[in-house]
Amino acid sequence: MNASIQDLPRSRPARAPRRGLALLAGVLALLAPGAASADAAADGIAHAARQIEKHRAKPVFVAPGAPFDAQKCAAGRKMLSVPNSSANPFLKGIIKREVEVGKQLGLTVQEWQNQGQPSQWAQGVEFAVRNKFDIVNLISGVDPKTLEPQIRAARAAGVKTMTSHFYDPSQPQNPLVAASLPVGFNAIGKLLADWAILRSNGNAQIVVIKSSEVPPTEPLMRGLRDELAAHCPKCRIVNEVNVGVTEWATKIQSSLQSALLANPGVNWVIPIYDSMSQFVVPAIQITGRKGKVKVATFNGTPFVLDYVRNGDVDMNIGESLDWIAHATIDGYLRALCGLPVPKDIGVPFYLFDAGNVKDAGVPAKFDQGYGSDYVAGFRRLWGLAK
Amino acid sequence: MSGAPVVRGSSPVAALVERFALVGAWLAVIAGFGIALPGSFLTWQNFAVMFASQAPAALLALALIVPLTCGDYDLSGGATVTLAAVILGVLNVNHQEPIGLALALALAAGVLVGTVNAFFIVYVRIPSLVVTLGTASLVTGFVQWFSDSSTISGLDATFVDWIITKQLFGISYAFYVAVLVALLLWYVFEYTPLGRRMLFVGKGREVARLNGIRVDHVRAGALVASSVLATLAGIVYAGVLGSADPFSGLNFLLPAFAAAFLGATSIKPGRFNAWGTFIAVYFLASGITGLSMFGIPLWVTSAFNGAALIVAVTLSQFARGRVESDLG
Repeated sequence: MNASIQDLPRSRPARAPRRGLALLAGVLALLAPGAASADAAADGIAHAARQIEKHRAKPVFVAPGAPFDAQKCAAGRKMLSVPNSSANPFLKGIIKREVEVGKQLGLTVQEWQNQGQPSQWAQGVEFAVRNKFDIVNLISGVDPKTLEPQIRAARAAGVKTMTSHFYDPSQPQNPLVAASLPVGFNAIGKLLADWAILRSNGNAQIVVIKSSEVPPTEPLMRGLRDELAAHCPKCRIVNEVNVGVTEWATKIQSSLQSALLANPGVNWVIPIYDSMSQFVVPAIQITGRKGKVKVATFNGTPFVLDYVRNGDVDMNIGESLDWIAHATIDGYLRALCGLPVPKDIGVPFYLFDAGNVKDAGVPAKFDQGYGSDYVAGFRRLWGLAK
Repeated sequence: MSGAPVVRGSSPVAALVERFALVGAWLAVIAGFGIALPGSFLTWQNFAVMFASQAPAALLALALIVPLTCGDYDLSGGATVTLAAVILGVLNVNHQEPIGLALALALAAGVLVGTVNAFFIVYVRIPSLVVTLGTASLVTGFVQWFSDSSTISGLDATFVDWIITKQLFGISYAFYVAVLVALLLWYVFEYTPLGRRMLFVGKGREVARLNGIRVDHVRAGALVASSVLATLAGIVYAGVLGSADPFSGLNFLLPAFAAAFLGATSIKPGRFNAWGTFIAVYFLASGITGLSMFGIPLWVTSAFNGAALIVAVTLSQFARGRVESDLG
C-alpha cells in the first residue's frame, strides 16, 4: 500500500487524488490492526468449532494396544481399588463396573471402602499387602505422594501400585507407581475454552470456579488459559475464584454472586468440576443473570446433565464410567503381564448440550448416551469374542 | 451470665455502645465497601441477593441459639440441614411424592433427631457435645445411604419459586422466613415465661430446679426446637439451590456457631439473642461479599470470619471489665 502511493507521479494535478489516497491509506492503516484482529477472532471461532465438532459425534472405540489373552493374564489375580472417597458416586460407579469387568476375565476386584481420609488409604495399601493382592488401584484423587512409605512396602512385597484418572499426560507419574493411566485434563480445559469461544462468538468474559488443591486443576487451567490466549483475542478470564473442596457449599455461591454483581459484562461461568454447578446455577438465578450468563463444565454427573436438559447449564463434558472401568482393567493387565501400557486411559470426551442430553436419560444416568461400541471392542481385544 | 442487659461495672453509655457495637461495625463495613465499590457493592440488588442467599445460614444460627440459651450444644444442626434437604430431594424428585408430604416428613425428621438428642442428653444424662457429635455422624451416614451419596436436582418448581423467585421489596421470600423465625425467637426469649425459664436453666440448672422449673422439659423442648429449625434451614437451603446434596449442609455448622457467639456480644450482650445472631450473620456476609467483589482470595474471607469473631468477643470482654463469661 505505501509503495503504491510513493510510486504515484508527483505532478500538481495529481495532488488532490494523492491526498485522498494518503487519507485512505491512513484510514486503512488505522483499521488494519482491527481487520487483523477480526481475522484472528474469526480464525479462533473456526478453530473452536472444529475442536468441538470432534467431540460431538458418538465416541468411537480405538484399541489401546495389540490384542492379548486377558483371561490368561488375569487368572487368579486380585486387585484392590482405592477411591478418593467411597461417598463419591462417580468413583463408586467406576469400581462397580470394574468388579463386573473383572468377573468376565477372572480378575477379583474389591473396593477399599473409605471416607476420603489419607490414613484410610494407607490402611488399604497395607491390607492389600497382607492379603496378597497383585494390584493396588488408586483412582482419581488418591495422590501416591501421600502414600509413599506404604507403596514402597507394597512394592517390596510384590504388589504393584497403579493410578488411573489422576495425572495429566504432561505430569510425571510418581516413580514408585508401577503404571499410570492419565486423563487429558489439559485437553478438557481447551475444550471448555473452545465451547465458550464458539458460543460467545469470540467474546467470552469468563468467571472460572476452580479448586487448585486438586492436582488435575493445574493442567486443566493451563489448557483453558492457553486456548483462550491462542484463539480468542477478545475473550478474558475476568475472575478465577479458587474454592477448597470442603468449602464449595459455603463459598461458591456467595463469591460468584459478588463476582457477577461486580462485573456486569460477565457472560460465561466455567465451574471446572461439574458438581460445583449446584452452587453456580442458583447464584446466576438470584442475581437475575439467567439467560445472560452461560455455564460450561466437565464430568458428566447426572444431576448436572439434568441442568443441561433444563437449560441451566449450556454444556457438560462427560466420560463413560463403564468405558473407564474397561480401559483401566485393560491397561493394568497389560502392565501386570509385561505388555506396553497405553500412554493415557483413552476414554473419549463427549459433549452433552441441549441437542443430545436426552440420550443420557430422563432423569440422566451415569453411563447413558455414550454408545456401547467399546464393549465389543474390548471383548475382541481380550480374546473373549471374535 | 447476667440476667439483665446492663453490663456490670460499666456506665449506661458504655452499655449502649456495647449493645450496638456490632451494628456500628456492620454499618462501617457497608460504608467502607460502599465508598470503595459504589457501583457494585452499594446497590439494592447486592443486598437483596445477600439477604436471600444467607437465609439458610441465618436460620441455622438461630436454631443453635435455642439450646445454647439452655446451656446445651447442638452439633447435629449441620447434619440436620442436610437431612431435610435430602428428604425433600429423594421423596419429591426420586419418588415423585408431592412436595407438601416431603416437607412434612422433613420437619418430622427434625422432631425425631431432636427427640433422640433430648433422650440421651436429658434422660441418659450424657453431655450434649458427645450426644450431638454422635447423632451428627449417624445422620450423615443415613443421608449418604438415603441419597446414594448423590446430588438430586429438579425439586418442585412451585416450591423453588416460593423460596427464591418470588420477592417482596426485591428480596426473595427465603429471607423473610429467617426474619419471621428471628421475630418468633425474640418474642419468646423476651416476652414469655418460657423464654425466662430457658435463660434460668442456662444460668444454673440446680437453681432453676429448686425454683420449680421443669429443667428436663425445657432442655428437651429446646433441643427439639433446634432440630426443627435446622430442618427449616435445610428446606430453605434446598429451595435456594433448587437441589439437595448429601454433604454441603455440614459446612454451615461452624460459621453458624461463630455467628451465634458473635451475636451474643450485641443487642443483649452476654446472652444468645435472636437479633444479635441475625445481625452477626449479615455482618459477616457483608464483609465477605465486599472482599469477594475486590477479588481477594477466599482464604482471606475465612480469616475475616475468625478475626471478626475473636475481635468482637475480645472488645466485648474489655467493655465488660473482663468479667468471667459463661458463654460456653
